[in-house]
Amino acid sequence: MAAPHAAAGAAPGAPAPTTPAAPAVVLDGVSKRFGRELVLRELRLEMSAGRVAVLRGSNGAGKTTLLRLLATRLRPTRGSARVFGFDLQRQGDEVRRRVALLSVLGGNYAMLTARENLTLATTLSGVAGGGIDAALERVGLSAVADKLVRTFSSGMKKRLGLARLLLVDPPLWLLDEPFAALDEDGKRLLEEALTTARAGGRSVLMASHEVERSGRFADAVLELAGGRLARARSGA
Amino acid sequence: MSDLAAVLAVARKDLLQEARGRAVTVATVFFSAVTLVMMAFAIGQDSQLLQRSAPGVLWVALAFAGVITAAQSFQSDLEEGAFDQLLLYPVPRASVFLGKLLANWLYLTALGLVMTPVTLVLYGAHAGAGAWLLPPTLALGSLGFALVATFYAALTANLRAREALLPVLMFPVVVPVLLGSVRASEAIVQLGNPSLAGGWLQLLSGFDLVYLVICTAIFHLVVEE
Repeated sequence: MAAPHAAAGAAPGAPAPTTPAAPAVVLDGVSKRFGRELVLRELRLEMSAGRVAVLRGSNGAGKTTLLRLLATRLRPTRGSARVFGFDLQRQGDEVRRRVALLSVLGGNYAMLTARENLTLATTLSGVAGGGIDAALERVGLSAVADKLVRTFSSGMKKRLGLARLLLVDPPLWLLDEPFAALDEDGKRLLEEALTTARAGGRSVLMASHEVERSGRFADAVLELAGGRLARARSGA
Repeated sequence: MSDLAAVLAVARKDLLQEARGRAVTVATVFFSAVTLVMMAFAIGQDSQLLQRSAPGVLWVALAFAGVITAAQSFQSDLEEGAFDQLLLYPVPRASVFLGKLLANWLYLTALGLVMTPVTLVLYGAHAGAGAWLLPPTLALGSLGFALVATFYAALTANLRAREALLPVLMFPVVVPVLLGSVRASEAIVQLGNPSLAGGWLQLLSGFDLVYLVICTAIFHLVVEE
């Protein structure tokens, strides 16, 4: 299938287009079932490129499932989803070129150093590895760049995940509880990163229980309840 | 980036982690050594029976070591959400499979190269003129085990009963590889018949090729939930 809206989210690390043609995310009746449990139910959503949307909802509402689905780790049981015009199931490689996920746990390898984790990320993402030192400096991990991640606290692991996100810098950022485990300084770093991302035209879909902090960046707030989009504040 | 670079990056990552953690090394070396010694005791003092048993015992030890190796290689991925991250990079998922396969294969082959002389000494067997065929036999046999073990380890990685399910699912599929490896080793060690061993190695290569194509082609279906 020809690449629709090829300008949208052209490449990781490159400036995001200011007037992209395709929405960042389109969900069309997406449901996800794990065994007998229906976790997402008939979700319909269109999120414009360059917007920041915050997903809210109680534990088990389906926020992480939705983010993992958009990261192509999960297949929808029903319905279809598109990221910058690319179908999640049929064009997964194209989708993965345009998204990055910052998971709750950070997504790092404990037996690799911080630098080695970032080197792996740049190698597999196809971005230049020259920015690793700068990224580590930016998140305050320069002093422990060559230490194994297993010696890191939860907050440091989260900062390393943030460094990876900044290095890869894709057009769509998927953030799962990004403020969790971070200290005040770390939260400020993340806020700066979000501000820069927004100014650079990145699209952000963020699941967060930090109502006030995440709300500062939100163009739209989406409420998930029982696997359904219960309500949305402002347009996504 | 090229798919080959992705394969090498994933393999390097797995080998580097193992070089530092040594969890698999400790488990498999001790497990294989204990298997060889226990089987030697169980077979008794009949030297001819010991010699005849050597290839079979060696490959059974390597087969179980293969289960441990593959299961552990995904365990480190599953910690702290790293596997989600690995699968999110814009490389074909086949590259992830081939990278993990390469690391497991190299490890199993190295283990086989260490365990083979130990087995020959312990069981009083001799490789003779066809000794040069033992390394390719180990390489091809280990590849077959690593292929099936890596694939099924990915399939069972997220299951609670993965330790029990992995060997149950894997061993029926890996029987042709076990058969080919044992018969080729027998032809080298007992019969001193390199041409017979060569026939078994061709068959083993065929099995490896079939498994390689199938496992690589459908790996993406296994890792998407």
